[in-house]
Order: sequence, then C-alpha cells, then structure tokens
Amino acid sequence: MSIIQTKDVKKWFGDFQALKGISMDVAEGEVLVICGPSGSGKSTFIRCINRLEQHQEGQIIVDGIELTNDLKNIEAIRSEVGMVFQSFNLFPHLTVMQNITLAQIWVRKKNRAEAEEKAMELLERVGIPEQAQKFPGQLSGGQQQRVAIARALAMEPKIMLFDEPTSALDPEMIKEVLDVMKELAQSGMTMIVVTHEMGFAKEVADRVMLFDEGQLVEQNTPEEFFNNPESERTKLFLSQIL
Amino acid sequence: MVDLIKKNAKSLQESLFSSVGSAALTIATSYLVINFFRGMLGFALTSDKDWLAVLNNMQLYMVQAYPEEDFIRVWLSVGLTFVLAGLSIGIWRSDDRVKSSKVFNSFFKGGLGVLFFTIIAPTNSSFMGNDGSVITEEVFSMETRLGILIPVAIFCVIFFSIRFININFTVNSSDMVFFYLFIPVALLWFIKLPTIQLDQNNERIIPDPVMPIADTTKIPWTVIFVSFLASYFIGMYLKNIKSIKSIMSLSWFLLPLLIFSWIFKKPQIDMSVVLGSDLPIFGAFLLWGFLVITFVNNSIFKKYYSTYLGLTFLLTLVGVFSGLPMLAKTCLLLIALFSVVVPAVSTSSQGKRSLLIVWAVALVTLTFLLRGGASDTGIVVPGSSIFGGFSLTWLLAIFGTYVSFPLGVLLALGRNSKLPIIRIVCTGIIELTRSVPYITWLFFASVTLAVFLPAGVEFNLIVRVLMVTAFFSGAYFAENIRGGLQSIPKGQYEAADAIGMSPFQKISLIIMPQALRAVIPTLVSSAITAFKDSSLVTIIGLFDFLTIGKTVIGNQSIPVNFVGHDRENLIFVAIVYWIFTFTLSRRSMKVEKKLGLGER
Repeated sequence: MSIIQTKDVKKWFGDFQALKGISMDVAEGEVLVICGPSGSGKSTFIRCINRLEQHQEGQIIVDGIELTNDLKNIEAIRSEVGMVFQSFNLFPHLTVMQNITLAQIWVRKKNRAEAEEKAMELLERVGIPEQAQKFPGQLSGGQQQRVAIARALAMEPKIMLFDEPTSALDPEMIKEVLDVMKELAQSGMTMIVVTHEMGFAKEVADRVMLFDEGQLVEQNTPEEFFNNPESERTKLFLSQIL
Repeated sequence: MVDLIKKNAKSLQESLFSSVGSAALTIATSYLVINFFRGMLGFALTSDKDWLAVLNNMQLYMVQAYPEEDFIRVWLSVGLTFVLAGLSIGIWRSDDRVKSSKVFNSFFKGGLGVLFFTIIAPTNSSFMGNDGSVITEEVFSMETRLGILIPVAIFCVIFFSIRFININFTVNSSDMVFFYLFIPVALLWFIKLPTIQLDQNNERIIPDPVMPIADTTKIPWTVIFVSFLASYFIGMYLKNIKSIKSIMSLSWFLLPLLIFSWIFKKPQIDMSVVLGSDLPIFGAFLLWGFLVITFVNNSIFKKYYSTYLGLTFLLTLVGVFSGLPMLAKTCLLLIALFSVVVPAVSTSSQGKRSLLIVWAVALVTLTFLLRGGASDTGIVVPGSSIFGGFSLTWLLAIFGTYVSFPLGVLLALGRNSKLPIIRIVCTGIIELTRSVPYITWLFFASVTLAVFLPAGVEFNLIVRVLMVTAFFSGAYFAENIRGGLQSIPKGQYEAADAIGMSPFQKISLIIMPQALRAVIPTLVSSAITAFKDSSLVTIIGLFDFLTIGKTVIGNQSIPVNFVGHDRENLIFVAIVYWIFTFTLSRRSMKVEKKLGLGER
C-alpha cells in the first residue's frame, strides 16, 4: 500500500520548468533517497509533497488525501508530514524545549506537561536532552539539525521529508545527524531523503532515485543503483560523485 | 583595598590619558562639563529665581482646571492603574535576583553624583537686576557646602566599604520596585517645603514659611502605595489560577476605556434610555451571536449559511442608513463581520466557548463606550477641554501608543498581504497619514473631523485628537514593523507551515515576535517621538504639560505674581520630559537584552 503517490507532477517557475512529469509511489515504511545534480528539481519535488511549493499539473496523493488548494487538506497533510530543512530553520526566539512543544500545544492541542514529556523523550532519542533550555543560537549546527528532527517528530508524522539535511554542516557533525536518521529509518518511519551522502544511501535506503533536469532518470535498489546503473546519466553522475 | 584603588587608577589612566591627544581631550571636556554645571547651578540658586512658581502650581501642572470636588476620579484612576500593576507584578513575578553589592554600588554612585555637584557649585553668582545692573550675590555659602559634603561623604564611604565586609544577599528584582517607590512615599510624610502664604492684605509673607506637605497629596499617595503593595501579594497568591494571565491582559486592555469613559468623565446617564433601549439591544445581539456560534456548523444551517450572511449584510446596509439608535447600527455592523469569522473558529466546544466570551466582551465594551463615553459629562470646567497638563500629555502618549501600536501591527501585516485590496487600502492609509504633517492632522481633528462623522455623533476634542494621533503614529509604527517583517528569513515561514500551523498562529507565534524584537530600538524612538510631539496640541488650544509651564504659569498674576518666571518652569518641564523618555529608553534596552538571549 503506497502512502505517497504522484502522477505526472509538473511545476514551472516562470518560464523555467522545474519538474517535467514525475510519477512515483512510496510504500509505507520505505526509505527513499533522491540524489541528483543541483538544479535537478529534487528539492522542489519533496517541497511539493507538503505544499511548500505548489505543483501546477498532475496529482499528489498523500495518505489518501489529494493535495489541492483546499486549506483544510493542506493543513491535514502538513501535520502528517514532518520536514527537515537544509538550514535547520529553528525558531531563534524560542528555547529548544519551546521549539519542540510549540506545535504540539497549538496544533495538536496537547497540554504543556504532556508536550514537554514528549519533547524530553525526543531529545533523548536524538541524544541532546541536556540542551533543552538553551536557545538554538547557542548550539552547534549538528545539534540544531537534531533539534529540528525532534521538532518534526513531535508531531508524530507518518512521513518524514529531509531536504539536504547535512549539506550545511561540518564534516564532523554530519555523522551525528546521519546516525539519528539511521535510527529513525530502522524504527520503520517512511522517509524521503534528498542528500549527497552516498554512504547513507547505500546503507539505509530501500530505493535510490536519480533526478536530472526535472525528470526521474532512474530508480533502483541501492545495490543495483550503485553497482549496475542502467542509464548513462547515472553512470556519469556516480563517476563524478564517488 | 589599596589594590582596588590602584587597579581603578590604572584603568582610568588607560582610558582617559592614554596619549597626549586623549589627555588634552579629557581635560578640555571636563572643563566644559564642569563649567556647564556650575553655570546651571548658579542660575538655579540666585535669589531672583522663584522656584515656588513651579512648586506652588503642581495641581495646575497635573490636571489643569479639573474641578477639585471631582479629584477622587483622578485618584481612583491612578489607584486602579497601580492596583492592576501590582497584581501583574505579583502574577508575573520574576525569578531574577539583584545582588546586594549592586544595590549598594548604585547608592555609592548616587552619593558620588551629589558630591560632585556640591563641590563644583559656585559660591557667588550674578544676575541681571530690574534696573539693568549686574547683581552679584552669595548663593552657596561654605557652611551649606560643608553641611552637605560631610554627611554625603560619610554615606559614600559606608556604601563603598560595605563591599569589603562580605555582606552578601540577593533581593528579588520585583520586590525592588516597591522599595524604590517606598522611599518617595515615605519622604512625603517627613519633608517640609517652603509654601506660599498670604497675609490679610493678600500680600505674600516673606520669607515663605516652611510647611509639611498637604494631606490631600500625601494621604492619597500613601493609600495608593499600600493598595499597590497589597495587590502585589494578592497577585502572588492568585498566580496559579489557570486563566489569570488572560484575565489580566483583558483588564489592561479595558482599563483605559474605563478610565476614559467613566472616571475622567462624569457621565450624565438617562436611565430610561439605558433600560428602554440599550439593554434590549444588548440582549438581542448577545442572543443573536450565541445562536450563530451554536448553530453555524449544524448541517441544516450550514446549507443556508451564505443566504444568512447575505441577508445580514443587507440588513446592516439598510440599518446603518435608517433611524436606528447608534448602538443598534454599530452592533449590526459588528455581527455581520463576526458572522464571517465564526464558522472557521467554532469547530470545537472550546472554540465556541472562547468565541462567546469574545462576543460578550465586545458587546459590553461597545455598549459601555457608546453610552458612557458619548454621554454628556457632568464635569464643568472653564475652557474647551476637560483636563490638561500632565494628565493630558500622559493620556495622549499612553492612549495614543496603546491604540496605534496594534493598529501599526495590523497595517504592517496588511501592507504585506497577498490580497491586493487589503494591501492597497493599508498602503494608502500609511502613505496618506505619513505624508501630511502632524500639525495638519491636529487642525483636521479640531476643525474638519466632525464633518466626516455621522450626524448626531460628537466627540470631545481630546477624543478627536486621540483618533488622529492613533493613525499618525500607527502609520510610523507600521513602517517600523514592516522593516522587522522583512528581516525574517523565508525559512521561518516554511518551518511554521511545515509543522502544520495555521496562518494566524504562524504570524502571532513565530513571525511577529521575531519581527518586533528586531525593531525594538526604532519602535521605542517612535514612542518617544509620539510622547514629545504630544506638546504640539497646544496649537489647537489644548493645554498640555509644556503649555501650562510656558504660557499659563508664565502669565499668572493671581494670587501671586509669577510673571517672568517661565524659565524655572521650562527647566522643570524639560527635566520631567527627560526623566520619562530616559526611563523608557533604559527599560527598552533591558527588554532588548532579555529578548536577545538566543541570538549569537
């Protein structure tokens, strides 16, 4: 049973066509890695899945709900889909604890004590319970990204989207974030990850996709993708990146 | 101790005399500063300055010609404000603690300041006499100087040496507010001031006898202080009640309305109108709102919702141009707007309950304002405005900011809106308001505004001035806040969207707090400008604080001749303005520091 279905999704920025008809399915519990050169539309695509960008043609169905202009649907989908950004986007005026509890209290209507309990649980899961009362500006990049993951998880989403979560980090910090993501994948979360971390893709992904110029060039299991790529484009991409 | 002095001396040397140039600059500047203060003190102390022109006219300064039998209203409004402040300080009591050393240090510094002025004060000073000759007189004798120097020096030494005998305790920073306020209130009971007394022939008795402060001043202030303190304790006790904070915010919101429409006014209310027309209208609209809230998401009603909305708007349109009472017209307009918002919010029982509270509060406020605020006042004063002086300045500043700030937030959001009609209207309001001088708007308020109001509605001049002031400073606030909004990165909007926040939550919880924090300095300088600009109302015949000092007291000849003593009054006015604006800017720096915690 697929939790995300897209059919022939097309998107233009002015005259520039960013997505040229993407059709794919993601099964529940699947970990999908999307890679590709910059400007290939991979970020745009996952941002379309929770409507941060609007697609102009085609169909996106998330958890049985189709994404249209209806605000109710958009809010319903957004509370099922967690998102982690390249630049963390934590709320700088709130403490780590408040960052994680805010949406629980205001969107999920939980009471404060419950929300804080959940937040501590998640902070322990991402390995930084001692930072709860600090402000985001006082944390390292890796710690901030882990808080961002905890914030997304606090909504108890069914799907997690990662938009280049490690691209803005120092090499040393990349590992701590990837470890959290691996643990998350093993727990059975449905994940779509846009990343250049091929090691992560090999180890964790159930399926790897290559985007180029707004098109889905190839999708396969990691073994096949890295060892026996079908298309010339994939071979070229892999030869440059590995 | 020797080490400390050496260290201080060294740092002084480094910061003031590091090179030949900086040494010269230091000496030149201190020469200028000392001479400036010497001149000021000499000016203030000469015998041709009559400071009683200031002291004797405090009542005029505070409320102008407000009738004495109605003073209780003024005291009540001041007291009510203090009680609310006490409750709020108790409820929001901070956990910050102030170190004793810090308190002692500020005493020490204060003492040093007094020492400085005592030392530099000139012994002789000259002034121009009535016949044009220069008169030199002794203004500050050696005995007075020593009489001040010795006790203050001892005071300084005590508070300086305390730091060596390890007295260490901390005081809650909220408690300190009461300590600082206690000092002036206690002083009221002990201080004696020279007072103007007239003999049988209405001649001033010279020298002025020294008298204790009048009971009509010290008793109200003491009562206010005691209730302030009591409400502080009550506030601490009430702290844990669940919705107390929202109740307090609501009270603060309603307080100015209460003060304005009931305490500064003595409404002459016709009870038959209240019972015969106001109450039925109030009840009918309360019921209407209740029905809409309860049934709007009912499946049957929902089908006809758009018909209902259309009918309501039609009815409003007809009603506004009919002969209905003002209250009914306004309520119709309100319910039409309210009906648009209801369906989105009244989805849960909690939403329904809060909607009902909002509706009830809005109706109560409206009825109250229209009946209480627009009724004739029973207070009879000479001249066009009910009160003037500091009350007026304060009212214009506080009430102006209180209305214009939310207005500014709305205008700023409106100008950034995606909907063209809202954007155009907001941009229009902002640009129109800003492009015309404030004085023009004041004339508009005093002369033209009545033309734009519906027939039969008349507002006091002060209310009209408040209206234009709200828009004028609102436009400036809006532009400042818009600057703050533009500094928020797009990622913040996306992050708020991604965790499923509604647009309203996104703006109020994520975007606005950050935008406002970024523009605190400009907001404060706008507020200070608004405070000082309030003195421009003199041009349309209102007597603000400055006008009282300059024009009213400067021309006063009954019962005592104060003509020509406007310099003393101007200095006094300047000092009061300075105290308020300086406090405001210091507070804002503290708030900024506190809010800036997370930013690195």
